[in-house]
Amino acid sequence: MKVAAYIALVLLVIPIQIVLLDRISIAGIRPDLALVTVCLIGLYRGEMETVLAGLAMGFAQDLFSGGALWGNLCLKPVLGLMAGLARRNLVNLTWAFVLTLMLGLSLLSGSVMYLLKSFAGSGTSFFLSARGIILPQACYDAILGLAAFKLIRLWKPRRTPLTAFTYE
Amino acid sequence: MISLHSIAGGKRTVLLLLALLITALLLLPESRQEPVLALGRHMAAAVSIPLRALEWVNQGIDGMWTRYGTLQHVREENFTLRQEIARLRQENTRMHETAAASTRLRDLLELRERLPYPTVSAQVVGRDPSNWYRSIVINKGAGDGLAVDMGVVTPAGIIGRIVKAYDRFAIVLLLIDPNNAVTGLVQRTRDEGIVEGTEKGLTRIKYLPLLSTVKVGDQVVTSGLAGGFPRGLPIGTITKIERREAELFLSAEIAPDTDFAKIEEVLVVTSPRESTQLPPMPFPLQPPARRDAGDQR
Repeated sequence: MKVAAYIALVLLVIPIQIVLLDRISIAGIRPDLALVTVCLIGLYRGEMETVLAGLAMGFAQDLFSGGALWGNLCLKPVLGLMAGLARRNLVNLTWAFVLTLMLGLSLLSGSVMYLLKSFAGSGTSFFLSARGIILPQACYDAILGLAAFKLIRLWKPRRTPLTAFTYE
Repeated sequence: MISLHSIAGGKRTVLLLLALLITALLLLPESRQEPVLALGRHMAAAVSIPLRALEWVNQGIDGMWTRYGTLQHVREENFTLRQEIARLRQENTRMHETAAASTRLRDLLELRERLPYPTVSAQVVGRDPSNWYRSIVINKGAGDGLAVDMGVVTPAGIIGRIVKAYDRFAIVLLLIDPNNAVTGLVQRTRDEGIVEGTEKGLTRIKYLPLLSTVKVGDQVVTSGLAGGFPRGLPIGTITKIERREAELFLSAEIAPDTDFAKIEEVLVVTSPRESTQLPPMPFPLQPPARRDAGDQR
């Protein structure tokens, strides 16, 4: 059942990313829905599930990308794993944490993608890439992640009490 | 001591007498009623003031009621009209969309008829899932005869080449991606070079001869020497020439003729060398009038 749900999620997220996200692009920058999904899986379902989901989503994303590199396949599980590990050592899952985590992971993802492209020979300036792609996408990803987090909270309210000594 | 009862009884008598007097006055002939009528006029004038006020209020209430009734009707009518406007707007948008699509498809069909090479038409269904590559996803793939490295064109010019071909989809790396390169030719001077994408979303032609007389405004077309494109397909117009002292070649920036953000239908050239007779300019260049008009605006 869980496997079927994850397959359905991958089959839903990647087509949305390819077909629909262009409609909400700002100055040509689209959020990385797969990254946001993988991070949220990491936060809510743990490391193992997010690594597997990240592998599947990264692979599907690379299949439909114009690039020859398998950057997303490598990056998405790692990012999910980092989100899962961060959640493990966390007292409370707050919106500020989700926003910061998404922003940080998206910045990391962008920087690694830039490095991969540079090693592959596309000599582009890091400053231009950071200003044109990495930073705007990180902000967009963080906002989208926060919105998704709030939606999940509405649908599935917090079970743990808000005290400094509460560990899930 | 005076009894209250006797006073009341006296008052009744007085009232009765007054009533009889008034009745007697009213029974008098009209000519004799003048003093009564004069008193009545003053009384009427006095009464008419609140009467008018009340009439105004009454009219107001009546008007309000009527307006309310009318408003209710207007509201319903307004609702119906709004629905009608929404429907007509929707229909108008649909018709505009259909007209635009038919224009695009007609252009594509004309291009297909003009090109002396076998082509497959396809629709753009998506964009690159990341922001790192400039590519599009088309709804035709290996099952329709498409393969990697085939050239993709629109009526405005070339747009890229296929980099991945699945059974029912293909990924087209756009010309403006820095990882893409095709052989180009400056139409006026016949100088050849390599056209590749830039970070700014434009294209650039490299390796032009240093003594080339190329100038801003020259049209660049495909040379047909390599890759999946036949000769003579428009690429763009030179906007800037870069001459560096230490370099052996010239390079020039090209503004592509195609608007890469608005590609909806494309033609894939499945076999650019199938035709035995290659005309010098197989594809009549579409003048970049639209772009110029857009710039002037």
